[in-house]
Amino acid sequence: MDMINVKINGKEITAPKGQTILQIAEANGIEIPTLCYIAEVKAYGACGLCTIEVEGIPKLLRACSAVASDGMVISTDTPRVRQSRKIALELLMSDHTGDCKGPCSLNCPAGTDCQGYVKLIAQGKFKEAVELVKDKVPLPASIGRVCPHPCETACRRKMVEEPISIAFLKSFAADEDLKSGDKFMPEIAESTGKSVGIIGGGPAGLTAAYFLAVKGHKVTVYDAMPEMGGMLRYGIPQYRLPKEVLDMEIASIAELGVEMKNNVRIGADVTFDEIKNAHDATLVAIGAWKSSSMRIPGEDLEGVYGGIDFLRSVALKNPVKLGKKVAVIGGGNTAMDACRSAVRLGAEEVYVIYRRTRAEMPAEKVEIDEAEEEGVIYKFLNNPVEIIGEDGKVKAVKLQVMELGEPDAGGRRSPVPVEGKFETIELDNVIMAIGQKININGFETLELTDRGNISADTETFRTSLDGVFAVGDATNRGASIAIEAIGEAQKASEVIDSYLNGKMIGYKKPYVSEKIVTAADLADREKISRAKMPQRSPEERIHDFNEINLGFSVETAMNEAKRCLECGCHDYHDCKLIRYANQYDVKPERFAGDKHDCPKENELVYIERDQNKCVLCNLCVRVCDEDVGKGLIGLVGRGFTTVIKPEFADRSVTEFCKTCQKCVNACPTGALKTL
Amino acid sequence: MRIVVGQGSCGIAAGAAKVYSAIEAVIGSSAELTITGCIGMCFLEPVVDIYDGETLVKRLVKVQPSDAAKIIDFVNGNADAVNDIEITDDDKDFLLKQTRIALRHCGVINPEKIEEYIADDGYKALEKVLTTMSAEEVIEEIKVSGLAGRGGAGFPTWFKWNAARQSQGDYKYLICNADEGDPGAFMDRAVIESDPHNLIEGMLIAAYAIGAKEAVVYVRAEYPLAIERLTNAIREAEEKGYLGDNILGTSFSCKMRIKAGAGAFVCGEETALIESLQGERGMPRLKPPFPAQSGYWYKPSNINNVETFANVSWIILNGGEAFASMGTENSKGTKVFALTGKIKKGGLVEIPMGKTLRDVIFDIGGGIKNDAQFKAVQMGGPSGGCIPAELLDTVIDYKALGATGAIMGSGGMVVMDESTCMVGMAQFFLDFTAKESCGKCVHCRIGTKRMLEILNRIVKGEGKEGDIELLEELCYSIKDGALCGLGQTAPNPVLTTIRYFRNEYEAHINDKKCPAKSCSDLLSYAVVADKCRGCTLCARKCPVDAISGSPKNAHVIDKEKCIKCGACYNLCKYSAIVME
Repeated sequence: MDMINVKINGKEITAPKGQTILQIAEANGIEIPTLCYIAEVKAYGACGLCTIEVEGIPKLLRACSAVASDGMVISTDTPRVRQSRKIALELLMSDHTGDCKGPCSLNCPAGTDCQGYVKLIAQGKFKEAVELVKDKVPLPASIGRVCPHPCETACRRKMVEEPISIAFLKSFAADEDLKSGDKFMPEIAESTGKSVGIIGGGPAGLTAAYFLAVKGHKVTVYDAMPEMGGMLRYGIPQYRLPKEVLDMEIASIAELGVEMKNNVRIGADVTFDEIKNAHDATLVAIGAWKSSSMRIPGEDLEGVYGGIDFLRSVALKNPVKLGKKVAVIGGGNTAMDACRSAVRLGAEEVYVIYRRTRAEMPAEKVEIDEAEEEGVIYKFLNNPVEIIGEDGKVKAVKLQVMELGEPDAGGRRSPVPVEGKFETIELDNVIMAIGQKININGFETLELTDRGNISADTETFRTSLDGVFAVGDATNRGASIAIEAIGEAQKASEVIDSYLNGKMIGYKKPYVSEKIVTAADLADREKISRAKMPQRSPEERIHDFNEINLGFSVETAMNEAKRCLECGCHDYHDCKLIRYANQYDVKPERFAGDKHDCPKENELVYIERDQNKCVLCNLCVRVCDEDVGKGLIGLVGRGFTTVIKPEFADRSVTEFCKTCQKCVNACPTGALKTL
Repeated sequence: MRIVVGQGSCGIAAGAAKVYSAIEAVIGSSAELTITGCIGMCFLEPVVDIYDGETLVKRLVKVQPSDAAKIIDFVNGNADAVNDIEITDDDKDFLLKQTRIALRHCGVINPEKIEEYIADDGYKALEKVLTTMSAEEVIEEIKVSGLAGRGGAGFPTWFKWNAARQSQGDYKYLICNADEGDPGAFMDRAVIESDPHNLIEGMLIAAYAIGAKEAVVYVRAEYPLAIERLTNAIREAEEKGYLGDNILGTSFSCKMRIKAGAGAFVCGEETALIESLQGERGMPRLKPPFPAQSGYWYKPSNINNVETFANVSWIILNGGEAFASMGTENSKGTKVFALTGKIKKGGLVEIPMGKTLRDVIFDIGGGIKNDAQFKAVQMGGPSGGCIPAELLDTVIDYKALGATGAIMGSGGMVVMDESTCMVGMAQFFLDFTAKESCGKCVHCRIGTKRMLEILNRIVKGEGKEGDIELLEELCYSIKDGALCGLGQTAPNPVLTTIRYFRNEYEAHINDKKCPAKSCSDLLSYAVVADKCRGCTLCARKCPVDAISGSPKNAHVIDKEKCIKCGACYNLCKYSAIVME
């Protein structure tokens, strides 16, 4: 065979004469992007992604068709080439309408593939579902029980009737997996010899430990409390998250070889520097464990407790003494946990005092309702101004009556005092659940934000100290929900891994295509009610701390999962378009304009075509013609309005389609789908 | 005497067929009545020539059917009968200042009679080639002439012929690209309608040179008269033995046929044309392979444009050197331009390369209509660019025109005056190319659409800061990334207008003003109270009743209601309406 010598990106290559530049590059492991090329059909040259530069030729060439000649000096990744590809991708994305991912996944701070695991659950593949969840969240049984589920808030099924019960499906699958006797365990990479110290064994610290261990690093978690779990253990009551469940999930992480050291308080038992020096990288995930003060007179009276301090004492099975009348101040989830715990500890009258109304309460609606079922009394539009004491003990609380004023920047109406109007209620205890702050003792060497939290880079999670990273409630904007901390920890573990490998790569939010869907678009969907989680009755559950939710049956769970609308694209993981769009950092909004808006078509009986995702690579047309020899589809229209239709727009030709699926397989995006 | 009525499409559109009928009705036996093709003086159509033997004795212009009696009167001896419709000396200059090679028979001979072509040295070049020259000698002669492709790209003709000749293959094709698609270009139509045998002869010489046995003329179906006359000419040539087997008794055989194109602009691109010829959707192929290697039915093929072929017989008869003696260092011979727009004397102009734009527009074209200010000339249609007033002395030459950002193109020359908005002009051409994009490659299909959308918003006064830069970025990327000439050149009108008239873009975007007062969305009309006499004409004619006022009192325009049609502005006898 005649051979030629060419140079690609400076590398000398000998290749058979007559091959295209693309063929030679592929054979030598040099990637040139293509959307409209596959080896089975003739080169076409439409997508413009395979453009390359050849020395001495002023024009860009298309590698898919340009035959290499001896002595060619080829560059496949110059600024000019990258610009040309980037513009092509931006133009394509500017006319690409579809959801890469479902809104559930996009709204999850940890980016869990909700649609993916819901589908696996619908198919009865619980272990596979857990495997997929654990790609992002290593504590699914726990998180599924406690998460305020932003996924469900975003779920489009609510435009039909109610969102999918995503969170409970997650804990259901995880429970099934844990009790199966053959639980999912990830494969662990070969040991890297690097070690990571993680300070804080809460959801963030445990998550980072899981992912770093999987990557082959030696991980040690240090925690100040007697047991691991952080706020999941010491902030969330047993009736919502049984600690036995949490223990099993922590055990699974320990099984990966993660060393867990409890009762280690930084600054007291060991210094931050000592830990830092003992590891190649350190992650600070210490949470926010100090209750915020209301700054009103009487806070130091006996019988006044911080919300999380109160919950911690309950979790430590050493609950503080409560009288008959207890008031919890605040409207968040901690307030709910506190008031419901107080009920269970035997308080006779439990109030929740909140300065706005029920509608503005940040707590989950279901929690608000369940607390009420359990006898909690809400006092809305009241703000404590003084805790009145007697003999150093709480006697009453003086409340300023409020009304709702103008909406604030966030759209919530601000409470304003009604002048001169006060109320006083007699009380034995006040629990202040109005927020949490970080305890920075022992970490004084770290730079803090204006709010007094640890300052961490939002892309790399780096702190002011080299090799020290920080995530979760202790950082930047302060306390948030567990899944937020888990999401940060998962991303940080990738960064830390890259740091340990010598080249730190920050997290970049992937670009995805999203479309707008309205209720009208879903008007034809059959209404199917959301599965109700079976619960113990209020009368029964107020007497103990046992879990109130009884869990889904397999049948209920599978039926519930089947309600999923499958908003995200079936081809997301294989889609070349979105992969390249991210590689080339596209900003298609620059070219926002008209888009194709075609109904989905399925004249090819078993194949659904979505023109709105089509990139007109014409591969389906060419495969059907050149490879299959049928030629059932073709291009119709000109310019921007060109679409793919049955040849000559004649539907009758499609009866010859034998559903060989070669077109579906050739499609570089999710425009074709086998039904 | 012989009365000859110019019957090109443009002449017919101006009324030449009715003039012919009117003359026919009264001619009796006083003279012979016949037709010719297009003389290229669009601004004077219909044109009627009166010959005494071979001598042109009168050229009559803007002839009406009612002039028929006068013409017969003249033929019958009244020497002054047609003085009022005779061409002026000034207008005669339009032709006298030209050098006609490709158009040499146009408007002179009867295109429907092969005898007239033969009488004017027709098919002599073919005879010379077939009986005295080898194919290589023909190619050499064309090489000496320096003839370059007149369709737009300006590629050396001999090189393409030679490549097709050298290409291995048992069967080769010669193709004529007569898919003249540039808005404002009509020289190819004029050649086919007026001198079809010149095209056939040029093609036969090319077919002989490359070794083709079959020739196809791809002509747009929008040219029915051209198709009719060429069909007739092919039949005539076959009958006379100039086409078919053993032409002129030699071993050279070649057949010829016509393929009517369905009107897609991109089919003027040679590989899209070939796809269309094969019955496929008109979309360009990847190059290489070039048509010389793999063209029509994947056989070696050569494609030239009509005007290119129209020069060939002249070159063979007069020698390549005679052709090359005209023009500049890198552009030889003559070029035909279709002069249109805001020009006094619009029509076909053939001049030697090396003249300036000023020569064409002012010396031959007579300057701007209504003596308005010249603003720019668009060269090369949607693929070309605009050249501003300060570059009027640019020499007509492939290189010099290319340096301005425009191109020679097929020779469309659209003249614009100060009332033309350059952003609007760019928008017009982008609208054309975006619609004519075949939809194959991404850069052209979506890129031109996005450019058009940006231009649309600019002329509406919705342009944003950064739009000019975004347009430029798109322009350069499309030029670099588009698959064929249509896409690669589509940005030219935008790039050249930004280059020479950036201030107009900025005025639209930043000040929401159209300096040419052409973009209706950026205009408003108002009554100057001092000048208004209260004649009520504007109020009565306003289609949306936006003008109110009582007689003899100043009127007022309700700007909310006004649809900016400009009717009041055009109607007002007292110049009391201003456009801002």
